Amino acid sequence: MTHRTQDIGFEHSKISRLLSEESGNILLPDFLLNLSSESMRTLSGGFFEPREVTTVEAELEDAVEEEPRLNLANTTIIGEPEPIVNVVGNCPVVAVDVSSVRVGESEQGLLYALRGALVWREGLSYNFTRCGPLAFHLNDLIARSLNRRSRANDNLSYSAWSPLSERLLSRLRNTLERWMQRLACSRLSRGIVLLDGSLTAGTPDNPTVYLEDILNRSRENGNAVIAFSKETKLCFSGKKITRLLDKANYPCMLNIDRIITPQFPSAPVRLMGRVYVAKLTSRGLPFRVDIDRQLSEESAAKAVGRLINSDIVEQGYPETLRLAHILSTFTANEILAIQRHLSIDYGLKLAPRLSFRRSLFGPYGTSREAS
Amino acid sequence: MKKGLIVQVIDIQFANLPGILEDILRDVMTEDTIQGCDYDPFNISSQIAVLKDTKILICKIRGAIENGKAKTETSWLPSRTTSRIVPYSIEKLASTRNGKRPVTLGRTRSDNLTVDVKMLDGKLNIITGKKGVGKSHLSKLLILSLIQNGAPCLVIDINGEYVNIGRARNDEPTPYADKITVLKPGQSLKFGLSEVGLKTFLNTMIYALDLPRTSSKVFSRIWNELERSGNLKLNSLNDAIRRFSCHESVREAIYSRFNTLMDLELFTDDISERFDFGLFEKKMNAGHAFIINMKDEHALSRRLVVELFISKLTEQLSEMRLKAVFLFAEEAHFYLRETYWEDIITRMRHLGVFTTFVTNQPDTVQESVYRQADNIFMFNFTNEHDLDAVSKVAKIDAESLRSIVKDLPPHNCLIVGDIVRDFPIVVNVKPLDVQTMGQTRHFFQD
Repeated sequence: MTHRTQDIGFEHSKISRLLSEESGNILLPDFLLNLSSESMRTLSGGFFEPREVTTVEAELEDAVEEEPRLNLANTTIIGEPEPIVNVVGNCPVVAVDVSSVRVGESEQGLLYALRGALVWREGLSYNFTRCGPLAFHLNDLIARSLNRRSRANDNLSYSAWSPLSERLLSRLRNTLERWMQRLACSRLSRGIVLLDGSLTAGTPDNPTVYLEDILNRSRENGNAVIAFSKETKLCFSGKKITRLLDKANYPCMLNIDRIITPQFPSAPVRLMGRVYVAKLTSRGLPFRVDIDRQLSEESAAKAVGRLINSDIVEQGYPETLRLAHILSTFTANEILAIQRHLSIDYGLKLAPRLSFRRSLFGPYGTSREAS
Repeated sequence: MKKGLIVQVIDIQFANLPGILEDILRDVMTEDTIQGCDYDPFNISSQIAVLKDTKILICKIRGAIENGKAKTETSWLPSRTTSRIVPYSIEKLASTRNGKRPVTLGRTRSDNLTVDVKMLDGKLNIITGKKGVGKSHLSKLLILSLIQNGAPCLVIDINGEYVNIGRARNDEPTPYADKITVLKPGQSLKFGLSEVGLKTFLNTMIYALDLPRTSSKVFSRIWNELERSGNLKLNSLNDAIRRFSCHESVREAIYSRFNTLMDLELFTDDISERFDFGLFEKKMNAGHAFIINMKDEHALSRRLVVELFISKLTEQLSEMRLKAVFLFAEEAHFYLRETYWEDIITRMRHLGVFTTFVTNQPDTVQESVYRQADNIFMFNFTNEHDLDAVSKVAKIDAESLRSIVKDLPPHNCLIVGDIVRDFPIVVNVKPLDVQTMGQTRHFFQD
């Protein structure tokens, strides 16, 4: 037991060292840094229409949809949820989250910013390392660069108003997110790595190869990867699967993997995690939870038991992951700051937006709005 | 600059940017629970810090510059797209230093503010602010500036704060020491009945001591009889009241009030003890300050002395024996009867009594005084009730006044009016090398 405590102490200091001393060099891949700089250089003092931000705007994060909606037939037999057993002993917990936000539009393309946060619990305190914001001008240069790097042979060609901008953003975001997740899984041992979203991969913008690598490294270091989805599109009998735990008033998890897996053929989309619906506290909210499929069901249950003993779980959501989300997301004020950075460092001029409504119907107003 | 709009910053606030509250809440929520570092390769966070601290300047239009000259009225607006914003020296706007009687009141944010004392001549002034912010200090500065320029001042000193303005902090007499006379009622200030006159004496009996109208008529007859016989003395008046043929209740009413007045020891039959109004005239016309020290005086004594002096001043001014008087009235509600307020700002002003009211209770000064005041020196007020009272001044809008006055530090005052050419100016009043007697007495000395 003494030996185990010392071991954990070592792991804590190791991850602290990783995340504080070396963070600058390793948290952000050079490729992304260079891509950000190069793409921004293509702006060269043109006009820029900033995104308007208001105090009433509730959600600034630009969610990237990855998974299709999936309705499970109600003929499927669903088992009973299993209680989560608290596993005595703390282990290190690390959470990773990355956010993206649109900051405006240039004449050639859209401007986005990315930021990632890595939070870990050490003893009773929480620590973080955050990287970014990185600004990107989504244009052909980025599309070509990403194509060159992509292991999935998918040729993207970009045009400013194309829906492909969503895919470019998704790729950029996944690149940073997977990089940071890989880092966490490589440097931590015998701990829990919490991810935002699911452990689904296999789309051109989210290739399986990266997630596979992350999970392999994690297993090699004795970690358990658990992913929490705030939103899920998996439905059962027309209702979200999280409703399956409506009647459960104790910490529990329900394995729904066997009814979901058959819905996904072997390729291209792969569920690399075993899918559960879990309620981590008796009065908490239920979430879709994906746990590394290569771990046995027993190990997965133990990992969740260790998690609720090692982290604060408010409203059924781990605090480490909540903090990672808070630290990575952008506020309206930060968007304004990024816009200011763009106008100062890249000489962008704010372009008034053409308002068709005012142009057509406004008796006195001009056709352009102040931004 | 040939043409421009003059705006004054009346308040500085943090800009209410979108999401700022969310930012602050996030910082507060995480600052105690989480520590860490940011890797921000393009230093965008510095822009976030700049934005968080972005301030907005709330301004009011005060006038315009046309052909290089500042004026308080304006009827045009500059372009909002091509105009430039430049700081403009307050001194250039408000200073009247080119006048013949310059006096430096203190420092503005950028420079000394020098004004012409002449701007107090013929004016009604108010110095107000809460306790301990420097009202009396400014009042002393104005008095010294006036006597330095040969002006006559009469100071009604309710707390004995002005008695040593003729002495420097090192107790040496200042160059103006011989131009300052301190009077203490009952000691260096005593009056003879004939100098006071029936009207003043009777007014005091009526207004200060509530003598009934019928009794006042009887008293007038007694007074007139003694005056006709050339025997208007204290003892004679006392005897006459006791012997006069009238109803017992009338006699009792007059006698009790007469005795009350006598107890104040303000009257004397001894000519050598009497205050010499002739000498008073002479000194005042040569530039002098008479300070009536009312500290520890009975309320009746205060009212009587003020009634008497105002009555005498009116007489001397009417007969052109005095050119004018700058009257400094501290906490005037303690001694000024209601009917005098209107009189001071109308009739007496025309005669040459130019009053400066000094008070920390602005609601005790009548609203008409605020409306007609030519110069207002306002120190800090934080109480809403006080701000309501002072915001009645006509020379500045209530919003500017409230915004500026609430944030004034001690010894800083907002000056509005003719003395600053109607441009509201905040001044840090300059220190004076005179002894201050207005400080609160303390039990604990360490």
